[in-house]
Amino acid sequence: MMSTLARKMQFAFGSAMVALLVVGTISYRGMVASGESDSWVAHTHKVVEKLHQLALAMESAESSSRGFVLTGKESYIATYDASRVDVKRTEEIIGRLTADNPTQQRLLPALRRLTAERLALVDKVVSLRRTQGLKVAAGAIRDGRAQLVMSEFVGLVNEMQEEETRLLELRDQDAHRRLIAIKGSLIAGTIVGFLITAVAAWVAQHDTDRRELAEGALQESERKYRTLVNGVEDYAIVMLGTGGEIRSWNPGAEQMTGYKYEEVAGQNYSRCFQIEDVERGRPDEILRIATLSGRYEEQGTRVRKDGSQFLVRTTYAATRDHTGTLQGFSMISRDLSESMESEAKYRGLLEAAPDAMVVVNPAGEIVLLNLQAEKQFGYSRDELLGQKVKNIIPEGFAERLIADGTRNPAEALAQQIGTGIELNGRRKKGSDFPIEIMLSPLESTEGILVTAAIRDISVRKAAEKHLAQMEGRYRGLLEAAPDAMVVVNSAGEIVLLNVQAEKQFGYSRDELVGQKMKNIIPEGFAERLIADALRSAEDALAQQIGTGIELIGRRKNGSDFPIEIMLSPLDSAEGILVTAAIRDISTRKKAEAYLLQKIEELNRSNVELGQFAYIASHDLQEPLRMVASYTQLLSKKYKGKLDSDADDFIAFAVDGASRMQRLIQDLLTFSRVSTKGQELLDTSSEEALQRALINLRGAIEESSALVTHDPLPTVLADEMQLTQLFQNLIGNGIKYQNRGIPQIHISAARNNSKKWTFSVKDNGLGIDPQYFERIFGLFQRLHKREEFAGTGIGLAICKKIVERHGGAISVESEPGQGSIFSFALMEVERKS
Amino acid sequence: MKTVEGRDTPLNVLLVEDSPGDVRLTQEAFRNINPSVQLHVVTDGVEAMAFLRHEAPFQQSPRPDLTLLDLNLPKMDGREVLALIKGDPDLKTIPTVILTSSDAEADITRSYQLQANSYLTKPLQLEDFETLVKRINDFWLVSSRRPHPETA
Repeated sequence: MMSTLARKMQFAFGSAMVALLVVGTISYRGMVASGESDSWVAHTHKVVEKLHQLALAMESAESSSRGFVLTGKESYIATYDASRVDVKRTEEIIGRLTADNPTQQRLLPALRRLTAERLALVDKVVSLRRTQGLKVAAGAIRDGRAQLVMSEFVGLVNEMQEEETRLLELRDQDAHRRLIAIKGSLIAGTIVGFLITAVAAWVAQHDTDRRELAEGALQESERKYRTLVNGVEDYAIVMLGTGGEIRSWNPGAEQMTGYKYEEVAGQNYSRCFQIEDVERGRPDEILRIATLSGRYEEQGTRVRKDGSQFLVRTTYAATRDHTGTLQGFSMISRDLSESMESEAKYRGLLEAAPDAMVVVNPAGEIVLLNLQAEKQFGYSRDELLGQKVKNIIPEGFAERLIADGTRNPAEALAQQIGTGIELNGRRKKGSDFPIEIMLSPLESTEGILVTAAIRDISVRKAAEKHLAQMEGRYRGLLEAAPDAMVVVNSAGEIVLLNVQAEKQFGYSRDELVGQKMKNIIPEGFAERLIADALRSAEDALAQQIGTGIELIGRRKNGSDFPIEIMLSPLDSAEGILVTAAIRDISTRKKAEAYLLQKIEELNRSNVELGQFAYIASHDLQEPLRMVASYTQLLSKKYKGKLDSDADDFIAFAVDGASRMQRLIQDLLTFSRVSTKGQELLDTSSEEALQRALINLRGAIEESSALVTHDPLPTVLADEMQLTQLFQNLIGNGIKYQNRGIPQIHISAARNNSKKWTFSVKDNGLGIDPQYFERIFGLFQRLHKREEFAGTGIGLAICKKIVERHGGAISVESEPGQGSIFSFALMEVERKS
Repeated sequence: MKTVEGRDTPLNVLLVEDSPGDVRLTQEAFRNINPSVQLHVVTDGVEAMAFLRHEAPFQQSPRPDLTLLDLNLPKMDGREVLALIKGDPDLKTIPTVILTSSDAEADITRSYQLQANSYLTKPLQLEDFETLVKRINDFWLVSSRRPHPETA
């Protein structure tokens, strides 16, 4: 890594140098080129200046010549000569300066010719001035030839100046281009250099980071490793030097041997070996083998600090560095004595299991079993060990563990793990019994062992059979029920029903199962089972249990019919189910309606009959009064005036009419008890009695009857009717008498139910008990008309009055011993 | 001025009764009890009012000393007749006694409200009936003083 970085850095710096070199070269060349361009510009400027100077010199020559012509002074000649020299010299300079320029060189001869010609003309004027005077000279000056030469000269000088200016522009552009090129290359070079430097710096930094990270990770992993090693307590993990000296010692090792690291650090690991092993050179041998084969595993006895011995299984591994040099050994030991203990625990567990446990190897042989297995199958342990499991579980077990075309043994087993499989077990004596087995795999050196927990399920099977029978009976019961029976789940769906339910609702069983109860009982059923804000589903149900609820059922064809349902809960695996017994109460409802109608009709007809009796009696009276009146008139007017037959006949008619009148009178009274009855009010029974006695005054006087009474209470009664009641009973007492003076006593006794029982006791004929019922009937008479007149209505009226007052009338009597008529009336409730 | 005792001055009694049997019984009874009673008989309420108002065919009818009025009558019943009599300033001074077979409380009350002078129920027995007629005669025709028609 270091070398890679160095190479990278070398390359980076090399690249940077190359870049700088290139930049420098370009810059230098640019500078040189730029210098050339500048000198060319200066040269051009010089040419232009010299051209200008030449023009000035020519001007000066001409003006000084003119000054001489005009003045004739010789000082002008001196200036003139100087200008001539200046012209010549400038011409030469220009010729030199433009030596490299063919265009200018081509023009130069013309320039020399023009200056020469002009100067010759001036000389000529000067000489004319000197020779021929001012006038001739001035004329020569005005000669057109001189002017023409001068203008040609000026044009040529301008042309040459323009040429130089053009060159100057060209060179300026050239210099500018070069400058830009140089700038570009400088910038590019600088950027490249910077980039290379930056990349180099980044690479260097990155490499450093990585190195730091790697170093950190190494430390971390070492720390973890150390923690791990130190955390392991079940294994002794020890690092040994090449000679077997102890370099590290984890807590597992401390625990296993009883030595602290400090006690054994740097010592030879043979310290824990038995002396005889050490003498045999066993520790060295082990290391030698480990060195040679890289790895060695062995089992042996070691000695603890306290001298006790223990069995360990140890794995040795030689550790080497990358060059392959042996650095030491790692040693990992497991204390086997502890695993033996755990095996004992395992066995204890096995034996404690309530089920028969059998461990079977891949060959289908029993390798381990518990006491329960011995008991269940009736074999001794020795008989079962090594035996084929097929002998105790003839079918279904071995097959499950065996690979077939589509699966390997592991898969075969995996499919069975944890599932309860019902099979038959066979006892030693040959009898079979139902079992349930649960399998679990156990990986071992012998391959995959299968632990089978085997439960005798004879009892459960019997129970299931019983349950199935019960269910069958329950179903029988369900089907035998005269009502439609429907079992509904908490979602309001039908889960079970009987044939009556099918019939009643007109659906087939399949149509109803799973259907919402709402479809067959649209209202009032689901609501009853549903919880609302005030109650839970259970409470809702509990409120309805056992009560007959009248609702409306709906058949498949949409018609409704009245039903009565009884609910009862049924706790099941699916939650609380509700059994609803549904009775079609159409018939009952019809019967009820019919009964109500009949009662109404009967009441109406009773009222009508009462009215009829009253009206009939009343209207019969009128014509009867005529019959009675006229037969009596007949009797009165003609008695003794006709023959004796006529007298008899008239007497019969008179008697018949009179009896009929009494009959009708009594019937009217009878019917008035219910039709003309007054409200029951507080009534003094004593006053009612007095009124009755007044009405009976004639009869009492006639018979000299002795009527006595106790103090009588105030009762709730219709006064008129109570009077009538006393009157009839006392009247009877007086009337049905053979001899002597009638004695009648009226008394009242309060009984415990807020009632007064009245008694009317007489000393009359008495009544044979067999007639006790009959005497209260309408038109019932016990005596011949010759003996006692009467209509047979009196006691019927009494009965009716008492009944209207909510009581009953009864009689106690013996023939010849008088009679006691008793009836009860309500006491008046005291208001206070 | 007529005297009640005078046999030549008949006592006019108007009997408003539709039952011929009762008419005859009443006639018989009065014949035996007081032969000076002139019993005028009409069989319905309309005739009764015509008699009392001397309208056709009763232009010559006398003003009765007593009217015996049955309640159940054809055409116009006794209650209406009673109301008309007692509502008429001229007729209301005529003693008007209800003689009927009805013993209904409602009839009794109503009749007295309409200012009947008395309410009597026809007895069932002939003997009782004769007794009643005798009492009517004794009380209304013999004992009672009546206003003079002209001064009424």
